[in-house]
Formats: sequence, structure tokens, C-alpha cells
Amino acid sequence: MLNLNVNPCKMCMPMGAISALWGVKGCMPMLHGSQGCATYIRRHMSTHYSEPIDIASSSLTEEGTVFGGEANLLKGLKNMIELYNPEVIGVCTTCLAETIGEDVGAIVKKFYEQNSTVKVINVASPGYGGTQNEGWFVAIRSILEQMEPNKQPNGKINIITPMISPADTRWLKSFLKEMGIDYILLPDISDNLDGATEKHYERLKTDGTSITDIAAMAGAKLTIEFSEFTDEKNSPAEYLKETYGVPYVKLSLPSGASGMDKLISVLTEAGGAPSDEIKKARGRYIDAMIDSHKHSAQARVAVFGDPDFVVAMVWLCCENGALPVLAATGSISPKLKEMLANETEDCRKFHFAEEIRVLDDSDFSAIEKGCVELGANLLIGSSDGRRISRKLNIPLIRCAFPIHDYIGGQRTRILGFDGSLCILDQAANAMMEKTEGSFREELHEKFYKPQTAKKAADKTATHPCFGEQACQNARVHLPVAPKCNIQCNYCLRNYDCMNESRPGVTSKILSPAEALERYIKLKANMPSLTVVGIAGPGDALANFDKSAETFRLIREYDQGVTFCIATNGLLLPQYAQELKELDVSHVTVTMNAVDPSIGAKIYKYVQYMGKTYTGIEGAAILLANQLAGIKMLSEAGIMCKVNCVTLKGINDHHIYEVTQMAANLGAFMTNIMQHLPVKGSAFEGLERVTNKEIAVLREQCGANIKQMTHCRQCRSDAAGTLDRDVSIEFRESVPEKPGPEKFRRFAVATQTGAVVDMHFGQADEFYIYESDEKNARFVETRKVIKYCNGPQCENKEERWNSVIHAISDCEAVLAVRIGPTPEKRLKENGISAITTYERVETAVLQAAKEKRRNTHGTA
Amino acid sequence: MNESVLKERESSICDRRESSRSISCERESVSGAVSQRACVYCGARVVLNPITDAYHIVHGPIGCASYTWDIRGSLTSGEDTFRNSFSTDLRETDIVFGGAKKLTAAIDELMEKAVPSPKLIFVFATCIVGVIGDDIEAVCRLAEKKYGIRVIPVKAPGFSGTKSQGYKLACNAIMNLIRPHAKQPKRFGVNILGDFNLAGEMWIIKGYLEKIGIPVISTITGDSSYKTLIQAPSAMLNIVQCAGSSAYLSELMETEFGIPSLRVSFFGIEDTTASLLRVADFFGKMEISENARKFAAEQTANIMPIIEKYKPHLEGKKAAIFVGGGFKAISLIRQFGELGMEAVVVGTQTGKKEDYEVMSSLVNSNAVILDDANPAELERFMTEKQADILVGGVKERPLAYKLGMAFCDHNHERKHPLAGFEGIENFVKEIHKSINSPVWKYVC
Repeated sequence: MLNLNVNPCKMCMPMGAISALWGVKGCMPMLHGSQGCATYIRRHMSTHYSEPIDIASSSLTEEGTVFGGEANLLKGLKNMIELYNPEVIGVCTTCLAETIGEDVGAIVKKFYEQNSTVKVINVASPGYGGTQNEGWFVAIRSILEQMEPNKQPNGKINIITPMISPADTRWLKSFLKEMGIDYILLPDISDNLDGATEKHYERLKTDGTSITDIAAMAGAKLTIEFSEFTDEKNSPAEYLKETYGVPYVKLSLPSGASGMDKLISVLTEAGGAPSDEIKKARGRYIDAMIDSHKHSAQARVAVFGDPDFVVAMVWLCCENGALPVLAATGSISPKLKEMLANETEDCRKFHFAEEIRVLDDSDFSAIEKGCVELGANLLIGSSDGRRISRKLNIPLIRCAFPIHDYIGGQRTRILGFDGSLCILDQAANAMMEKTEGSFREELHEKFYKPQTAKKAADKTATHPCFGEQACQNARVHLPVAPKCNIQCNYCLRNYDCMNESRPGVTSKILSPAEALERYIKLKANMPSLTVVGIAGPGDALANFDKSAETFRLIREYDQGVTFCIATNGLLLPQYAQELKELDVSHVTVTMNAVDPSIGAKIYKYVQYMGKTYTGIEGAAILLANQLAGIKMLSEAGIMCKVNCVTLKGINDHHIYEVTQMAANLGAFMTNIMQHLPVKGSAFEGLERVTNKEIAVLREQCGANIKQMTHCRQCRSDAAGTLDRDVSIEFRESVPEKPGPEKFRRFAVATQTGAVVDMHFGQADEFYIYESDEKNARFVETRKVIKYCNGPQCENKEERWNSVIHAISDCEAVLAVRIGPTPEKRLKENGISAITTYERVETAVLQAAKEKRRNTHGTA
Repeated sequence: MNESVLKERESSICDRRESSRSISCERESVSGAVSQRACVYCGARVVLNPITDAYHIVHGPIGCASYTWDIRGSLTSGEDTFRNSFSTDLRETDIVFGGAKKLTAAIDELMEKAVPSPKLIFVFATCIVGVIGDDIEAVCRLAEKKYGIRVIPVKAPGFSGTKSQGYKLACNAIMNLIRPHAKQPKRFGVNILGDFNLAGEMWIIKGYLEKIGIPVISTITGDSSYKTLIQAPSAMLNIVQCAGSSAYLSELMETEFGIPSLRVSFFGIEDTTASLLRVADFFGKMEISENARKFAAEQTANIMPIIEKYKPHLEGKKAAIFVGGGFKAISLIRQFGELGMEAVVVGTQTGKKEDYEVMSSLVNSNAVILDDANPAELERFMTEKQADILVGGVKERPLAYKLGMAFCDHNHERKHPLAGFEGIENFVKEIHKSINSPVWKYVC
């Protein structure tokens, strides 16, 4: 937003100023302002560094604000000296002190005159004047401006850094030593903000840059300032040059090979030399860059933080082939865009990326937007990015201040070869983690699922009961399940009623083996048979062993056929998983009520776990299992149809609720059925619900769930289409239909399947192709006994027969070579031989064309 | 007293061996003393921040917003608008020419773009806003009129008092919000004041009350929203957990809406049990009182074996307590008592006179009591009294660790509840895990 910072990617100037003062030996920092500023900064720093952070406050009050805070400040200074006995006190101003126009310089000067044992430095750091980055440099500059210089030339090199971690500071010191450089580092936070546990805790920090060393910076031979963003107003290096004539070099933070090479070359020029260990470290880094480069190339990085940090990390990304899609800082820094524009150009081109977005004066709402728009998959910055990381599920490398949700902020590394490696390894690992964690699922989702989903959809579309357009498809109900575990008052199970077509009726109970036999026979005569169902005459699950065995046998014979069952649902929770394993894709559950008091009128008894239940109790058990079972089915991806027999005066007012429940449980459709009174059943006298009433019910319930409108209430041994049951007449033989011959077949001798590359006699299998001259289509491979078995081959006749039998439907054999005898014998069988080295498909097409010419020629 | 205590601070420290005089408290921090306190703005911010669907705009330079972004870790069952930081991010030019215009523009922009659309906005004025003379009340008034929503100013310049003053400002802001809804018929039920739903503690307390048959109408401010807050005037009772922040609100509600209040604490077995019974008995309904007794007894029976398991490892250890408010310190003294531990140093940032009196009566005669202590004093007394563990906030944690002392975080940043019976288990385990950790053996 324009007028509102939403989720800040920055802190205020006093934060940076205080942090810098922490790197001065024996220094106690103080904030001139209200109490909260000190406390907030202490909390932020102590969480990040895991160190006690004592910052005094002048605790400005209402009175101080109105009449000036001098008295408060002076009292504060005195109290601090009493409590901490510091060598240096750094007084930083705040928004409040600056706004009320406090002349801190004058107050401090006055105090210093009276208390010359303590050096007091004042830093003008209004919160609105910039971010922590600007505060940091302003503090260093103020320290230098307010020191008593020692201009004696000392041959040392001054080192100024932006805010870096104590661990990186420690590295920098040892690196300079390794290069043989005598240096003065300001500030040096390495120990003060990452201290050891010692026997006696020292309240005042005794490490850091001493006042003597700071004074000697005026006599150094060179200043290296690791910032490309400081200007004449806040650059410590420029101040030292202007005031004491110390020359300076400004470098970016030494990350990556490019950053380090620049630094090494500057230090070499200044009299240092890279040790063997440094050269080795460089070699190891390059080696690691290569090891990771393909993982790095997957990274689309959003970098955020202080400008120098951002530049260093963007560079690190670029040299490793990672794409920095977004570089953002909270500081006002128009220069950032300009600097990165050229440096990232090669990287942008390498990735064919349209945009590398650079934002300054930014906040996390803009960064989040950028991450989404640019498809970032890795964040590098402070832990303030954790919210975006969680929200967008993008890993975050925490390596900048502040880190509040991880431990070890003081130990993060980004500098030097090994510091760069820390980042590089984390980035590469984040990419590998992402791939490793998702590639199985992604590829399964992308390539496998659509196929199975299509198969499932096809199965539904071709199931005559589930797919409305599938009436031409046939199904068979195999009556292998005689037993039932409930008694419905409308049902009577009996057999041998050839003329009766309704559920529960069958001519004969089949064993699983007999069922397979019937299926094979039917399938042979009825190619449109796509569905095998078990629908009783009892309950498919009450005879689960029989049902399961039947499915297993048929599946062995036919991989493609769809399996379905019909059940009352009592045992569904028990068997849902096994149905899935048996590849049963469609289940019909008859559920007549979702209220046990209604169910009690429909079911005479329910036999469950060896006990017989009646009345509401029985109905409730049945219902509970139906509900759980249907839910399990839909969760397992099994299509579920709920049948509901409409019984006048009993559940006809309740059908809507049943269908609603079915829909909630994830059923695919419901089938509201007419009750066909069966003589001898309890409901034999029940008045029928009219077709019209059924139609009205179906229309009403259509609001809840898809309705089946084409049910024919089939027998338990029905076979054929819904409209034409052939179960009794299936023995009739169906004449084979002759297919028009427009394809010519060829037998190809090939080893690889790509090129015709075998001798006819050597082939132990032929690839059979067919072609209409436009396309060459692979049919199958056919095994033969090798015709030629070497010089001493015997039983040629047997082998010849094997070959000729295998390829008798082909018009020609395609091989690299063929002997004159076999060629002749093939010809006698109407098969010609073509020798070629072509690609299989090309050879087949050519052969087909040739064949046609020849046929036409002879004709 | 020696170098670690400033003369001016002596009256805020009470060594029970030397005197039983009352402690000097509720005053501004001493300059240069390194107080652990925050400011007026912070007090207001932390109390109002848990209102989940409010847009909390911090009007001022960026620091105040940056350091308090999502500071409380309060949990929400609804919106999470409150977890964002909105700031007018005032710059040098705004300081010179005034920031009111920018604030108006910010509200306009929020109304235009923010999702979900704001129903309630709090505008916090920080230190310099008062100094540069922005009339935020006028800005808020105009915005309310223009958009027909509530835009409530909270004038909380950091220098205008202590953190407690900020609590008061927050209470006033809440009253400002709910006052227009004062005329509601009373309902059977309570408001819970002064819990901020850190690690779901409000949910725990609410669950207890509902279990014993007392409906909760409004929670202030943990997991609250505009809609739930404005129902507060219909409650029959306010129960006040964190008195430091919310006693003032309960007083206002008693005067203006006639809602009586009870002080409660849900830290430790004794306090939790006593609080439940107190609230239950208030309604004079036999059934509820019995429910409460039964429930507390059950829960106590469940928790006792856990305490018994850890107690032998904790008995006789010494604790230092330095927390924000008095109520928590008092509860902690008792809670350590339940574990057979002794509180040897007890301090708070913003305790009140009465709080310190209670503390004095609860601790042994060799304990030290401190108001608004600083690191130097904490260091001195924790070392002198040989504390084994410090209970405090994150600022104090590194000090304890540097002194080789265990630590228990009782502040914003923890991720596990310490309230209720569930919290007791967490508390005991945390104390044990820190105090009996093997790492201390390596400290010389």
C-alpha cells in the first residue's frame, strides 16, 4: 500500500546504532528517549543473539518531553557509570529526543567536561531517519568523528563492515590474519554478541574495538569499507579520507567466488598474500558450486534485507546459476536497482526470465506479492520472512538479523568461501528436499492418476446401471451368494422362477468355479459384456468368501471387466478395504431409511456378530454400518449407488432424507425404486407406490444427488443388457462376425524392435505389424523356434512348422537376410520375403505399398 | 547495599531479612538504570493486539510497529488480521509537516483495499505524534463518519507514564468500543478479562467454565472479535485474570454496566481450583457449584501423580521470579510452593502496592522483593540468594543462562499453555527439563 507499511522489512535507526556500539570495547549504550525503545531493542537483540543485552534508557517522561530531557540524560549517565563503570558511553537519540529538539551534543559535551574518565559519544539516530542499516553507519561515523585521532602512520588497514553476524566477524578477523594483514576492525561484535559462558559473568562487555585502536584508524594506510551504499554523509571510509587522508576502497560483502576474489586482490595489492589454506578453501568452494549447480539452477530466490546483504546474496545466486527473482530492501535505496540491473542480466538471460524485480523502501506485503507473481521457491533473509514462508510454503534460509524463531542467529554465516557454502548447501538442499518430497506424488498425479481416473470414469460410463448412456452394454449377475444376514419385510428369496424377474430370484446357485465358466461362455458370445456383478440372491458380503473367490477367478481371466456388488451394507465396514483390493469399483447399497424407528418397520431382524437383533436395535445397527460403510467406500474411491425401496406409508415420506444422507456420505447416485409386492413376503399386501409418485420423488431428490431412472430391478442371475435378459438363452451360439480386411500383416525379424536387424533363420520371435500403407501398427510379438540352429541343426521340419504356423496370417517376412530354401518354402505358403535394413515402421510401410502394387500388378 | 543497586532504587527493593516496610512502586523508571519495562504504547498494544479482526494501525515511525509485530503469539479461532503490522511509517518530512494527512490516507487505503474489509480500526499514537501535534482523534472521528465503522484512537506516547498507563488506555479504548452497546438485556454468563490466549490459555479457561455450566459471553481480549466484544455488557459477571491490565476495565464496567467482578488466577492447582469454585459459587446455583468441585477434584486427582513424579527432583530448589504483573508473580510463588520449591527473589515490572503486600506475606523471610528491577539487581540477588531457576521473559533468559541458571519462559513467546490443569503439567516438566538438565554440569 502507498500510505501504509504492511509488515515491515526494516527496523529503526537506533537499532543499528546500538548494535554498532556493541562492538566497542567497554562501551555501554544508552537511548535518549522513552523507556520502550530500549526495551524493544533489547528484546529483539537478546532473542537473536541469545545474549544478555543491557541498554540504558534516559526514560523520558512527560515533563522531560515538554521541558527538555537534559536532567534525565545527565542522571542516566551518572547512574550508568555507577552500575557498569564503562570506558565509553554511546548515547543514541530516538524519534522523541530529535523531535523535541534536544541538543544532545551540547549536553554530552558538558557532561564529558565534568567526567573525563568516561568517553561519551553521541549519535543522532532518529527512528524516522532511516533503518537499522543507516543507524549502524551513522554510529560508526559518529565514533570516528568524536575520537581524538592518533595520526601516526601505523601501516594498518581499517576494516568497516555493515551489520554482519558475530560468526562472520570472527571469520573476517581470522581471514585477514591468514592473508597477513594487520588491521583495525570497527566495530568488532564477534565476542560481545556471542560470548562464552565464564565463571564470572561480566556485565560490561570487555571485547570489541578499543578506543586506542579507533584513534589509530586516522593513521592507517587504507580503509576497506564493505558497503557500496554509504555516501559522503554517513560513510566512515569517506570521513577518514577527507579528514586524515586515508585512502579507501569500497567493496561488496565478500560472499561467493566473485566477492572473495575481489577482496583477495585488494588485500594482495595492499601487501597481503593468500595462504595455501585460502587457495584450498577457494578450490573446495568451486568444487561445491559444481556439485550443486543443477540444484541451484532450480532455485527462484527472493532475497530481502539490508542493501549490502541483498547485493551479496544476489551475487551468490547469480554465480551459482540460481535465479534471484526478487531483491528487496526496507531501506530507501534507489541505487540498489541500478546496481543489480547490470549484474543480474546474464543470470536473467540464462534463465530466460522476463524480470528480476528489485524493490527498495519495501515491506513484506510487497515481497509476498512478488513471491507469488514471480514464483519464488526459496527465501533468503531474516526470520521476519517466516510468515510468508509458512503461508506460501516456501523454505526460508535464515541468515540475517533478526532471527527469532530459530536458535543460533549469532552463528549464521554468509561470508568467505565456507560462509558462502553454508548458504549454497542450504539452498541446494532446500531444492533437493522439495524435489525428493514431491516428485513421486507429482509424477503419480500427472501421469498415473489421469489414466486410472479415466479408467474409473470409463467403468462408470460403461456400467449399465451407473451410466445412463451405457444401456447397450451388458452385465451378468453371478448368483454365488445365497445367504442373507437380514430379513427385509418386502423380500422373499427363492429359486427356479424362470419367468420371474426381480431381485432375490435365481435359477441356481453357482460355485465360484461355475461362475467363472458361465462368465467365459457369456463373454465369448456377448462382446459387450463389461460388468460382472454379485447381487445375491442373498447378500454379496454375507457370502464374502464366495464373492471374493469369484472375483479373483474372473480377474485372472479378464483384466478389464468391471466388478460390482449389491449389498445391504451391514458388513461394509468390515469388507470395504478388501473390496478395494479385489478391484470392485461399483457398489450398490440398499438403504431404505436413515432413522432406526422407520428401519424397525422394514427389517424383521438383523443378524450381526453371531446375534440376532430386532426392532429399533437391529435397524440401528444396520444403519450405523451402512453409514460408516458408504463413507468408507467413497473415501476409497469406489462408486456407490444407494438403492431405496419406496414403501407406501412406511418410508415414502422419508426418501428425501435418505438421499440427502447418501449425498453427504459421498455416494454417486441413488436409485429410488418402486416396491414390487412379492407374494409370501410380509409386505405382500402393501399398496404399491405409483410410477408417478416415484417420478415426483426422484425429481425432488435430484436436488440432493444424481438419480437413476432406468432401473429394471434385475434378477440375481441376470445376464445381458438391462432391457434384454439372455440369462436363460445364453447357450445360443452367436455367429462370429467377419471383419473387413483392410490391413496387411507382416512379420518382422528384429532384435531391438527399432530396426530390421535379424536374419530370418536367427529370429526366435517375430514382431507382427499391420499396415494400411498410411500407418504401421504393432500388433504383438510371436515366439517361434529358431529356424536355423547352426550348421548341425536337426529337426528342421518341426522348427519350420513352428515358424510357418506363427506367421501364417502375414503377407511377408521382413528380415536382414534369408536363405534361398526358406524363401522358397515361404513362397509356397503365400508369404513373400523382403530383405531390408530399414527402421521397422518404414520397412513395414514400404512392404505394404509394394504388396499392393504387386497385387494390383497381378490383377 | 553495594554497587549493583542505585541509591534511588533502594526503596523499590525489599530484603525481607532487613525490613518488612512497604515497597516503593507504581512510579516511573529511573533514568540510566536499565529498566526491564517497556512503555505506555507497549502496554496499550499488548492488551488490544489479541482482538483478532481489528486493524491495529501504529501511527508513527516504523520502529514501534516493527518491534511489536505479532508480539503476543495470541491464538485466534477467527480472523488473523491482528497478526499483521500496519504502520504509517512516518518519515522526516512527515515530522516537519505533520502526519495526520498520511494517517487519513492510510485509513482510506485500508477501507478501499483491505481484505477482509475493516469493521474495527485502532489507531495508536506513538511518542512523536503528540509532539508534532497530529489530531488523531479528529482523524478517527471523520473516518468513523465516512465509513460507518469504528475507528478508535489510542493516544499512547511512550513517555506519558509507565506500561500500566498503557493498559489503562487500552481499557478506555475497549470501553469506547462497547459503550454504545451498553443497553442489552442481561444474560446468564461471564466475561473473561485479562487473558490473552497465549498458547490457547483462553480456550482452556473457557472450556472449564462451560464444562461446569457457566457460559462465556465475551473474552477480553484473547481470541476476541468486534462481534464478541460488543456483547460484553450483557454478562452477569466479569472474571479478571490479569488484574494489572484489566482491573481498571472491570471497574469501569462495574460502574457503567453494573457488572460485578471477581479476581481469578488459573496458574497452579490451588489457584485454579480456588478460582473455579469462586466463580461457580458466585451464581449460587447448587448444580454449578457441585460441578465445579467435582471437576476440580477430578483434574487434581489426574495431575497429582505427575506432580508426585517430578517433585522429588525439584524439592528444595530455589526460584527467582521476574514477570510483568503482580498477579502472575503471586500465582508463581504458590505454584513453586506446590512443588516444594522456594521463591527467593520475586519482582515485577508493574506490580501494585497490594500485590507486593501479598507477595511479602507469601515468601520466606530471607526473600527479596523488587519492583521494576534491572539486570544488575537481578544478577546480584539471584546470585546472592543462589537461585536455581529464573522465571521471566525473553530479555531475562540470556542473563539467567550466563549465570549458569535454569530458566522458564512465562511471557509472550512461549508456545505451550501454562494455565489450567493442562498448564501445570507443562510447567512442572519445563522446570524439570531446565533445572535438572545435564548441561549445568559443564559450567564451571
